[in-house]
Amino acid sequence: MTDPSPRPSLPDAPTRRTTLRAAGGGAALLGLGLAGCRSAVSDSKSAGAGGTSDAPRRGGTLDIAINADFTPALLFTQTGQSLQNRLVFNTLTRYDDSLRPQPELATSWTYAKDGRSITLRLRDDVTYHDGRKFTADDVVFAVRNLQNPLRAAQLRATALAVSGFEKRGDHELVLKLKHPVANLFDLFEFMIITDPDSVEQAVTGKKLNGTGPFKLAKWSPGTGLSLTRNADYWQPGRPYLDRVELRVVAQAEALLSSLRTGQSQLSYDVPGKTLASLTSDGTLRTKEYAVGGGAAYLGVNTTVKPLDDPTVRHALAWAVDRERLVKQTLGGYGFASAAPWPKSSPAYTEANRTHYTYDPGKARELLKSAGHSRLDLPLLHVNTPGETANAESVQYDLKQIGVHTTLEPTDPAVSQKKLISQGMPALWVQGHGFAQVQPSTLAVSAYPFNEAKNTSKYRSEEYTAIVRKAWTGTGLSGSASRALYQEISDVLLDAAFVIDLAVRGRVETASTKLHGVTINKFAYLNLDNAYLASGS
Amino acid sequence: MTLTTPTPHQNKGRTRKSRRSPYLTALTTARGRTGLLLVLLVALAGVLAPVLSGHAPTDQSGDTLLPPLSAGHPLGTDDLGRDLLSRVLYGIRADLGIIAVAVPLGAAAGCACALLAAVHPVVDTVVQRAFDLVLAFPGLILALAVTAVLGPGRTPVIVVIAVAEIPVFGRQLRAGILVQRGREYVAAARVGGTGRARLLTRHILPNATDPLIVQLAVSLTVAVFIEGAMSFLGVGVRPPTPTLGGVLSQSMPYLSQHPNYAAGPLLAVTALVLGLSLLAEALNREVRR
Repeated sequence: MTDPSPRPSLPDAPTRRTTLRAAGGGAALLGLGLAGCRSAVSDSKSAGAGGTSDAPRRGGTLDIAINADFTPALLFTQTGQSLQNRLVFNTLTRYDDSLRPQPELATSWTYAKDGRSITLRLRDDVTYHDGRKFTADDVVFAVRNLQNPLRAAQLRATALAVSGFEKRGDHELVLKLKHPVANLFDLFEFMIITDPDSVEQAVTGKKLNGTGPFKLAKWSPGTGLSLTRNADYWQPGRPYLDRVELRVVAQAEALLSSLRTGQSQLSYDVPGKTLASLTSDGTLRTKEYAVGGGAAYLGVNTTVKPLDDPTVRHALAWAVDRERLVKQTLGGYGFASAAPWPKSSPAYTEANRTHYTYDPGKARELLKSAGHSRLDLPLLHVNTPGETANAESVQYDLKQIGVHTTLEPTDPAVSQKKLISQGMPALWVQGHGFAQVQPSTLAVSAYPFNEAKNTSKYRSEEYTAIVRKAWTGTGLSGSASRALYQEISDVLLDAAFVIDLAVRGRVETASTKLHGVTINKFAYLNLDNAYLASGS
Repeated sequence: MTLTTPTPHQNKGRTRKSRRSPYLTALTTARGRTGLLLVLLVALAGVLAPVLSGHAPTDQSGDTLLPPLSAGHPLGTDDLGRDLLSRVLYGIRADLGIIAVAVPLGAAAGCACALLAAVHPVVDTVVQRAFDLVLAFPGLILALAVTAVLGPGRTPVIVVIAVAEIPVFGRQLRAGILVQRGREYVAAARVGGTGRARLLTRHILPNATDPLIVQLAVSLTVAVFIEGAMSFLGVGVRPPTPTLGGVLSQSMPYLSQHPNYAAGPLLAVTALVLGLSLLAEALNREVRR
């Protein structure tokens, strides 16, 4: 039965159109509201991920992209890849930014007044990864180990200056010196403390037993190193990270992709000229270490005629456009310099840096005055893209003054061998380190500069005398030591057997989530306080 | 007894007036024409490099990574301020110079080996195993092995390409010889007193060359890749001489910001390889017809 009476219309009842409008409006508002909430969540997440206010966080794996694998045989030699040294091992001391030594395994030290001995007090709470206690005997072994020519350690000369040891208990040691040594703390920062019982296994990569914050889990030749957290590390609560992976990514392009895609969070091997493309990426940051990442130089074999003539070498030094080299091949990271010293070095002066500038006219005149209008010489370089670009740049500049060079691209290992064995051809372009610490270290330790035996085969009594004076002089006043350093610089600039071109910056490229990373003067990576912020 | 069966070679000669050479016919097909046009364009660009480019390929300047259509630099400049157009054109020239020497050299050596192998079964076995040995090395491994001994440079690139091509041509010609050796005209020539050497070089060889012409075009394509790969890996022609692979390798770090850097060598390689491939295919179709 139906009700025939008409139902009174409700004046406030919504019409279909109104209902649809309301539904549409509601949906839109709901959508906006949800979108707003989502944005807020996203913003909050991204702020957390990229923010720097996060407290240190335990855990996580740090992947580091390296362009060359760990070479166990060169564990005690400064090479292009020494990041793992301070991860697995410790050193006795470390320098701060002003080259003042700070405690590591040595807590304090006292120099004898005559500079012929130093007393080290060592930490007594340190154990090796295998549980053995660290004692003064380990320091004795570490010094003797570097004295061994088989280890090819650049600071061997300084280690050899240690003539005796006097143990005073397990954690105090006196090092007796043949003569005062100015760069003893360079040795203490350079020398990793290894386990005497497993050192032979260490140089084959089978076992790395140290006291450092990470233990070796695995070394896969050609692939890299896997390290795990040392729970018994002597710094309480450190390290924060659970694992560290050093992955070999040889190709620069693949290394860039690895950082961009987040497969790795840290690298020191991004070529300077490609850094601009990375910094535009908000997830990565770069940091330039003022300590100097080595210097690019043109090496000269002084036994090859006519390079035995200093005038010809001076001509080469005036011929290279260093500013262009820094801009084009180093991507602006670093600075043009005729001297080897970074700005943090006590030997650095602006006058030395600009001693040779770009003056092809003067270079041609010098060459002419030496009786040459054209020279044809070989120029060796490492066959990596960055070094090849350096060599091409130098080759072009030399050609402008009549020095025609044939490039000899060479494998890095072969090049290193030639550098050590004095087997370089007439000219070579490469990088050198050791200018970032005590200036005398450069002249007694770096292969291109070593006063006793250098790659250029340059010998000079004057050079030897000045270097020895600077090396064995301790307790000199600031002005006296600066005068000595200037004498070294004067000889280097005048002899021009190593023609420095640019002091490179060591550039750290890292994820914005990574905090607390540092490197020491020898590019040993320190991750004691490193952590990955939340969201990683 | 009189010889009544004409040799295929003689047959060919007799019908040459009525039938065009398959090679010429191949070049009149759409495929052949397109291939020839592409190869000629690239080759002309290389040959006329000094005329077309206003800069020396190794001249550097402070103008780093200029974009295309910059004043005086139609393709821009590279990381050392060198003119990219000039480097691509001279790169083509260098590549063509290498493959034009290396591939015929490999072909000649491969054919010589195949002919030698046809003389005696023992020699054949030795040659085949030598071919196996070369073929066992992938091209790039072979390249790295050769440059480890000779060092990088133009000559090692030529040696690598030639060595890689020897077994390819050798096997191809050996297969042809085996087919032709069973033909009646060969038996007839042998019965007629033709010596072994003359039989191989004057009767069998001319009738077994068709696949080799096709292989030549294919091998030129492969050679472009080998040269490019060697230069890309830094074991090819020494810098600063430009090659297509070398310029491409130098452009890699700048791909995201300056893609024009890689565009020139990529286009040149693509055009050259595509042209040679089309030519090879056109020749193959006509020869098999």
